[in-house]
Amino acid sequence: MARAFRATTRGYKAELEPHERRLLSQLCADVITMLQARAKELSGEDAEHTADDAAQDEFAHFRRELAGLGDGLEDQTGEETAAGGVAPPTDPALARLLPSASAEPEQAAQFRRLAEGSLRESKIADLRAARMALESDPVTLSEDQAPVFGRALNDVRLTLATRLGIEDEADAEEVHRRAGRGKAATTDDLMAELYAFSTWLQETLFSAMLDVMPDEAEGQD
Amino acid sequence: MSSTAGSTLTQEETDLHLSTVAAKPYQVVVWNDPVNLMSYVAWVFRSYFGHSKEKAKKLMLQVHQEGRAVVATGPREKAERDVTAMHSYGLQATLEEAD
Repeated sequence: MARAFRATTRGYKAELEPHERRLLSQLCADVITMLQARAKELSGEDAEHTADDAAQDEFAHFRRELAGLGDGLEDQTGEETAAGGVAPPTDPALARLLPSASAEPEQAAQFRRLAEGSLRESKIADLRAARMALESDPVTLSEDQAPVFGRALNDVRLTLATRLGIEDEADAEEVHRRAGRGKAATTDDLMAELYAFSTWLQETLFSAMLDVMPDEAEGQD
Repeated sequence: MSSTAGSTLTQEETDLHLSTVAAKPYQVVVWNDPVNLMSYVAWVFRSYFGHSKEKAKKLMLQVHQEGRAVVATGPREKAERDVTAMHSYGLQATLEEAD
């Protein structure tokens, strides 16, 4: 049984089972794969075969589905818009990880042309750091590492949520109910369990972080 | 192939451009979504914008209940940095001209 994140004198600690750490790490790797495929797609390289290493484990089918690789990335050409901007990803999970910065499509496309690359890189760096942190037992995060881990965990949650079709609060509750039933029989059941687990982990980490956060900004606004 | 020919602005054009840019503040809007946790959103508002506990909570609840909240207002470049930062935290954020 996993024990939640708590604040200690030497950072935040959570005791996770080895398979829990392994699964979370694999999910981070899958999101990295998606982001890298997007980069290749925009640079015009072949985005296929990026999941080669994903095909070798017991969750291969699930992981391909999660990474949206079953949908054929060749359909997702990163077409330039008329004025030289970059169109948003057609894959909904990628579109959620790399959102449009404006409600006005051409402005969003121009912004994306300038900003999406560095956003992708920062997300990949966060996810890699999270994988490193998941190598240790218990998982221990310094004050500096905690937000990085939290962002990576959140990107994993956003990806799972998109694949599970969570669009409103009722959908999210249904996923939690589904996860509570135990004994995952389908890919969606497993995704629901992982979503509930990573949500719980995220909640405990940020509750602990809020608890120790000094309210130094008090009275400034 | 790009060329710089014809790209020179007249003084009038430059002045016009700068005065327009300076006059237009932009705002950063964060949108509600069912995935981001309230504790997480409140933490992001406090740590990134330096909002007080109360202000962060108020903005977080505004996003949750009204669907959106303006979390920062300022020059376009600053607002663009803020939007990208919100995206790095996984929050849905957009840039718009302030009313």
